[in-house]
Amino acid sequence: MTFLKRALPVAVLMSLPLPVMAQDMVRDSQLPGARLSPLPLGGSQQVTSGSAFNPDISIIVDTVYFNEFSGHVDDPAGFEGGHSHGHGHDHGHGLDDGFNLREIELAFSASVDNYFDAFVMLALDEHSIEVEEAYATSRNLPAGLQIKVGKFLSDVGYINAQHPHDWAFVDRPLVNEFLFGDHGLQEKGVQLTWMPNTPFYSRFGLELLQGETEGIASHVGSGRVSHVTVTPNPDTGNPERQRWRDDNPFNDVSGPRLITGFAKFGPDLGFDHAAQFGISYGYARGFQRDDLHSSLHYETWDGDAWFAGLDAVYKYSAGRSHGQGDLTLQGEYFYRQIDADFREFRFSGVNNGRLEETNHLSGKSRQDGLYIQGLYGIAPRWQLGLRAEALGLTNENALVEDDGFASFGTSYRYAGNVTFRPTEFSMLRGQVNRSDFATDNGEDGDGWSFMLQFQMALGVHGAHQF
Amino acid sequence: MYKWLIGLALLVLTATAQAAVNVVATTPAMGMLVETVGGDAVSVRVLAPADRDAHYLQARPSMMAALRGADLVVSVGAELEVGWLPAAIRGANNPEVFPGRPGYFEAAAQVELIGVGGPADRALGDVHPAGNPHVNMDPVRMAEVAHALAERLARFDAGNAERFRANAQAFDREVQARLPIWQARVADAPGVVFFHEDADYLAKRLGVPVLGYVEPLPGIPPTARHLRDLVRDLEGRDGVVIRAIFHQERGPRFVAEQLNWPVYALPLDPEVGATADDYFDLIGQWVDAMAGRL
Repeated sequence: MTFLKRALPVAVLMSLPLPVMAQDMVRDSQLPGARLSPLPLGGSQQVTSGSAFNPDISIIVDTVYFNEFSGHVDDPAGFEGGHSHGHGHDHGHGLDDGFNLREIELAFSASVDNYFDAFVMLALDEHSIEVEEAYATSRNLPAGLQIKVGKFLSDVGYINAQHPHDWAFVDRPLVNEFLFGDHGLQEKGVQLTWMPNTPFYSRFGLELLQGETEGIASHVGSGRVSHVTVTPNPDTGNPERQRWRDDNPFNDVSGPRLITGFAKFGPDLGFDHAAQFGISYGYARGFQRDDLHSSLHYETWDGDAWFAGLDAVYKYSAGRSHGQGDLTLQGEYFYRQIDADFREFRFSGVNNGRLEETNHLSGKSRQDGLYIQGLYGIAPRWQLGLRAEALGLTNENALVEDDGFASFGTSYRYAGNVTFRPTEFSMLRGQVNRSDFATDNGEDGDGWSFMLQFQMALGVHGAHQF
Repeated sequence: MYKWLIGLALLVLTATAQAAVNVVATTPAMGMLVETVGGDAVSVRVLAPADRDAHYLQARPSMMAALRGADLVVSVGAELEVGWLPAAIRGANNPEVFPGRPGYFEAAAQVELIGVGGPADRALGDVHPAGNPHVNMDPVRMAEVAHALAERLARFDAGNAERFRANAQAFDREVQARLPIWQARVADAPGVVFFHEDADYLAKRLGVPVLGYVEPLPGIPPTARHLRDLVRDLEGRDGVVIRAIFHQERGPRFVAEQLNWPVYALPLDPEVGATADDYFDLIGQWVDAMAGRL
């Protein structure tokens, strides 16, 4: 009502259609976070709802201090190629030693109309904007059906659909990062889910996806492969441009290339306990990857891929204040198989040479990984977390540069952390990681790192899925 | 084969036609109200037990299963369940109970709230500019909600509309009959320190002064400094300290010991499955506690 008192004289002065405006203001004042739109100078002939239709906005800022204080680990053996950072340039999963502004999540949500709700999340770092998710969900389908359209995080597994601010650890589990990608299984497409009306929770989903996630549905398509370099002319010594170009050996595989399915079950365990179990599967009808070396050596993998996974979560709620005594246990296992033709080529000739195939073999790459983690509320607002991970328990015929196919050992990582949440809107977390990675060159794959994370949430009060 | 299928379909159809209105209530107090107004024409599932802070729950798969089959969800509202109910509704694939649809009912939206339009600045704690959500602690507002709920239930079961209205009226009369008794019991109550702003509605209704809060800001656990300040400010006065059972014990006990006041721990909700009488008993306990005679 204070809004009204303040706004009334102004409205009178400006001789606006008073009753309508006043009514709008009262309604506005009941919307959390809504503000009155400023009255246009000099009056207006227009009655407008101004910013009242703005979506709910929340901003989550994620900063991390990272220090690899002992040893150094690159990507786990057998998984280098499936990772955009490849070649070990960008180790530590995108974190530099020292302070990092890892990500700013900008989330918008609103109803589009009577038929759709929409959610958009942009991930900003200091240099770029990425569309993390942008999708609409149906509001009207009967019989427990729901359609999701747009770009979204797949609902396979448990952690895949979570945004980084939902994680109980600073970093993404290895299995999710290396079997799928840096953003998990994040794709454009359509999802249909069905929840039968059963006394226990059950949910079935089918996703038809474009197929761009590097780890499972990497795509190159037909195109040219070229290499340009400048070398001194053997006679004159002047720099001379050398160029090699040819068609790559790939065929276009039209999208959608990836189909996934999942099922989740949650028995009713009363008020104190909750559990959810899930199975998921996915098939990519195109898996294409290439690698051109500066030595004019060109490698391609062309085939298809599938994955299957199991996930389980258990939560105990102690009913004490601020999460004290609460326990969460969570684990996931994923298996991936890539069935691919491996071909090696070499550019022949000094200049303008063509690709010549030097090697052709086919094989299956079988890899898997798992993590298991536990969280416990040691005191009000304080949480202790432990996580153990294994990647490449099966690590056979992994796709690798230079070798085509080779087998590797298992990589392990252990993490322990303490999280303090002053309120629901801010969070401070200290984490120590111990990595024991398999390597392909006989080097020591051991390392210790320390991370300190500060996260804050501005804007609307978010609600978290189970 | 076909006959068998048709028979089954008919069975399902008749079962649905005769079934009570399927209501999911977020808290036991709301469940009590639905049960009181709806009688046996409704079947109620309650999502949160009485010993939990309904603001800090997490969405559980079983909540989604309950919401999947619900005709109507009855919540306290005003963002009390904001951390989990929207997620549970989204995860339930049941558009009938989406906010804005007839299947979504907020008690707080039916009555006038206190604390509306406060500053939307979280430096002041977990504030709710939409208003204090704990309307279930005011029996008079609950009676208003009961009337609104009767009308809402009538949309799902028009045949029982008069019964719903009569039940709401009966609840209202019981509240009105008890109100003077409660008021008399706290007539000379010197004042109360709550842990959180969760019983302000009751104190205001009965005219008991709220002298302070054990938590320094909404949602922030008590600090030593705040407790010292509170004790200093209230030194020499009479009063009682009351906390909800899920709040920590230490802060309230310290204040009570320093001031030599009684301290009580009471639930904010009756047990799941409670009747109106159980709810009135709970309010009676709060009344007695405020009077220092529990």
